[in-house]
Amino acid sequence: MRRFLVISIPIVTLILFVLVMISSGVLKQPFGDDDNIPLSIETLIQDVNNENWEAANKDTDQLDRAWEKVIKRVQYSSERNEIDDFTINIARLRGAIQAQDKSSGLQELSEAYLHWKYLGK
Amino acid sequence: MNEGLVVVVRAFIGFYSLLIFARIIGKSQISQLSFFDYVLGITIGSIAATLTTDLSSSAWPHWVGLFTWVALGYLMEMVSTKWRYAAKYLEGEPTIVIMNGKIMEKALKKMQYRVSQILELLRNKGVFDLNQVDFAILEPNGQISVLLKPEHLPLTPMDMKIKVSPSGISTELVYDGIIIDENLRQLNKDRNWLFKELKKKGIKDVSEVFLVTLDPAGSLYVDRYEDHLKKITDIGDYKGPY
Repeated sequence: MRRFLVISIPIVTLILFVLVMISSGVLKQPFGDDDNIPLSIETLIQDVNNENWEAANKDTDQLDRAWEKVIKRVQYSSERNEIDDFTINIARLRGAIQAQDKSSGLQELSEAYLHWKYLGK
Repeated sequence: MNEGLVVVVRAFIGFYSLLIFARIIGKSQISQLSFFDYVLGITIGSIAATLTTDLSSSAWPHWVGLFTWVALGYLMEMVSTKWRYAAKYLEGEPTIVIMNGKIMEKALKKMQYRVSQILELLRNKGVFDLNQVDFAILEPNGQISVLLKPEHLPLTPMDMKIKVSPSGISTELVYDGIIIDENLRQLNKDRNWLFKELKKKGIKDVSEVFLVTLDPAGSLYVDRYEDHLKKITDIGDYKGPY
């Protein structure tokens, strides 16, 4: 029993560490209704395309809240730059919505989606 | 991103991964390392450090790098153990630099050592007179092993034809106030015997004792927490803040 524990504890520990380090791919996926990043981005793309700026503003707040939830889960297994870049995208998106700039808005959303996609890769 | 928390988690991962890997590799004594083992250790430590603090990349590639270096080091060790030819090629072999009291200049040149470096290594071993040296061997880890001429070797009881009883190795019976029952059993003693012996030395309870050892000759060493030293010698050269 002792020998079993001496061998299995390090192995289990290492497996746990590996799982923590590669978990971004799973943990960035939506777990509930309020942390669905791809859906939020999709909704925002529609809002910006239709030039529905008030809805876009609200949906950006929703995206921000969803992102805050996801960061807490993925921060241990992601690059800081990817996380920061997504956050910056949201900030620039807000500016684009305020300026009612469709082109900039869509660019930011497209880039944001890419950052989310590369999270944990 | 809570950078402090992420660094703590990654430090945890790096620290315990390194601990597990180091135990698997088994290089527990730094003095036995060859130069490459030393460099390997530094590199692995460096990778573990970046795994902890380099937040610009995720922990995973650093951990893979750490694992790979450790695995390669382990593989090299296995190859060296099983295949002597490879061991000689990978780790080198001891080189005699002084033989029968004479310096082997060709060996020194081959090892790219100056005589001054050999003299320095000899002085580190307490040898200041080359006339005393019979053999000096440069080991793969850079250390020098010295065999003095018989007339300069320290005197032993055997030289004086003195009979000595075997000393053996002391066994710890109490460490930091805690009795080690397993060691008592191995020596065919029990707690009652221990308490009796401590009582003889004026100790009422085992919690007063920091360390107790017993050697095969039956000599009991007891160190208490309270040392009752009236004056502790100050070996400092000059006044300091404390």
